Amino acid sequence: MLKKSSVWLVVLISIVALAFIATGCAKKQVVKEEAAAKPVVEAKKEEPKPEPPQVAPPPPPKEEAKEEAKVEAAPPPKEEPKPEAAPPAPAPEPIDLVSLRLQFAFDDYTLSTKSKENVEKLGAWLSKNSTEKIQIEGHTCDIGTAEYNLALGERRANSAKKYLEGLGIASARMSTISYGEERPLAPNKNEAERSKNRRDEFIKTK
Amino acid sequence: MKKTFSLFFVAFLLVGISSELLWAKVYIDIRSPSFRKFPIAIAPFQSPLSPNEDMKLGERATDILNGDLSLSGFFALIDPKTSGEAIIKPPLGEPSTGTGQGLMGAHAEVIDFRSWANTGAEALVRGEVTYKDRSLALEARLYDVLKKELIIGKRYIGEITDLSRMVHRFADEIVFALTGEHGFFQTKIVFVSNPTGNKEIYLMDFDGRNSSQITRHQSICLSPRFAPDGTKIAFTSYKAGNPDIYIKNLLNGEERRISYYPGLNISPAWSPDGQRLALTLSKDGNPDLYIINQDGSGLLRLTDHPAIDVSPTWSPDGKKIAFVSSRGGNPQIYIMDAQGRDVQRLTFEGNYNTHPAWSPRGDRIAFDASMGGNHNICTIRPDGSDFRILTANLGRCEMPSWSPDGRNLVFSSTRDGGPHIFLIDAEGTRIKRLTFQKGGDTYPNWSPRFNE
Repeated sequence: MLKKSSVWLVVLISIVALAFIATGCAKKQVVKEEAAAKPVVEAKKEEPKPEPPQVAPPPPPKEEAKEEAKVEAAPPPKEEPKPEAAPPAPAPEPIDLVSLRLQFAFDDYTLSTKSKENVEKLGAWLSKNSTEKIQIEGHTCDIGTAEYNLALGERRANSAKKYLEGLGIASARMSTISYGEERPLAPNKNEAERSKNRRDEFIKTK
Repeated sequence: MKKTFSLFFVAFLLVGISSELLWAKVYIDIRSPSFRKFPIAIAPFQSPLSPNEDMKLGERATDILNGDLSLSGFFALIDPKTSGEAIIKPPLGEPSTGTGQGLMGAHAEVIDFRSWANTGAEALVRGEVTYKDRSLALEARLYDVLKKELIIGKRYIGEITDLSRMVHRFADEIVFALTGEHGFFQTKIVFVSNPTGNKEIYLMDFDGRNSSQITRHQSICLSPRFAPDGTKIAFTSYKAGNPDIYIKNLLNGEERRISYYPGLNISPAWSPDGQRLALTLSKDGNPDLYIINQDGSGLLRLTDHPAIDVSPTWSPDGKKIAFVSSRGGNPQIYIMDAQGRDVQRLTFEGNYNTHPAWSPRGDRIAFDASMGGNHNICTIRPDGSDFRILTANLGRCEMPSWSPDGRNLVFSSTRDGGPHIFLIDAEGTRIKRLTFQKGGDTYPNWSPRFNE
């Protein structure tokens, strides 16, 4: 009947206070909980550094990829360095990079005969247009796990890059990036679409 | 933004009384392999002082508590309607035999324990939520129905937005009081979702409630992983044009890019001491495993193999690392020591096993396995024995992550379209969908407990 009066509250509070003193175990429990929350709040105060933009040591300049690893994708040592004989070309020749996309089999990063032909076309163009640079994007279908597919996409991009290096294209003119399964061309609804997504794309860069 | 991050660490006022002798008693021996689910009833929580009926505070509290206790797997929830005393009434008429001690001691709450005992319930939860003068209070009590005694009673005071946290906290109290082990109801899950059109990192309660976006990179964010203390996450983002590793402090929102070598910087995994990360880099031409300190210094190479090595996960003692490698011709799980020596193949079943997650109890490793076009969540002992498939015909199930007690997992599944995040127990018997937002939800990662 006194239930909702403020008097009741006061009584309660004092009883609680008493109970705190009286109950050993329960008291510990409560204290522990309150204490548990605090350090976090304090830690929050200590941390803010004015965001030193990059504390991490700058990574070493890109080392050349190790050769010994690659066996499958290593290009035949045919027509070695087509020396960059192109004179200071006024304007680069146009090239349809989309038509040169490379396709891959599932969970595979080796270059098919068709892919090698495409890369050779690209290599010829790069040799002729010696100021041009490209980025090679590796992609996968959505089968399998996303993290593994990032690594697989990287291998696909590297396969093309190494082949181009074998054709005499300086590695400094090529960068690689893997998007794994994150940037599909088609929605991965069926095998035809997935197959389309297992690819390397070439993009002109500055 | 700062505010949102500090929110889930804010403590609300807490008052409690418990009958101390009962702390010692273990009602549910969850360590026993065949423990009986403990019958418990939750009487609908009341909200007498709620100024606005629409708030349905009592109903919401009851829902959240029901969800927690059923997800824990420890309880058989008894329908309170089977008791004659579903609703807490003002104490009228003669009290039944044995009265529960009113929480605050000011009045004896009258409980018809006999009526509850007839339902088969051995424990009863009752509670009341009040919202007054912009202050939310939850008062809840757990009773031993057979002994007709109060086991614990708690009162939480906070803001209106604190309701689910209060209920989760009390659910933890219930589990601790009855099992002697801490529950995981106050934990969080980070995951990747794309309702904005970009993959960003989101944070939600373990039960899927209170989801909030925590990155705005407008790029591709992947692989969020909680640090062992739960205050930071590491993840991969293409924000700067390349897949790099970032660490975001969840307390102050500060974000730092810690690994940005040319090529891949992906699949970060915190060491159990929280000081280092295992990750995959391809700077030397091929995706291999490395370890770095959390400030990006101290690079150490673990594997040097022409195949793909990715997705490391540490054993809880920090001595071993499980990972995915294609060195056998297709992706399989391998285990090595944390210095990169003594590599052993773990999985032999099937030809596509990826994304390992080492249980926090150390006894099992979960992973996803490709089987006939689908993916299933599987677990195996670190010695390669006792292979189990947890999911069957549930669409493509990927990316398992363990609950802090090692009894449950979350994963991503295309079962209902999506993909969405699901929760399953380690035996594969209970499954629950956690996310319902538009877009695809992937890469769930379960936080540690925050309050240990």
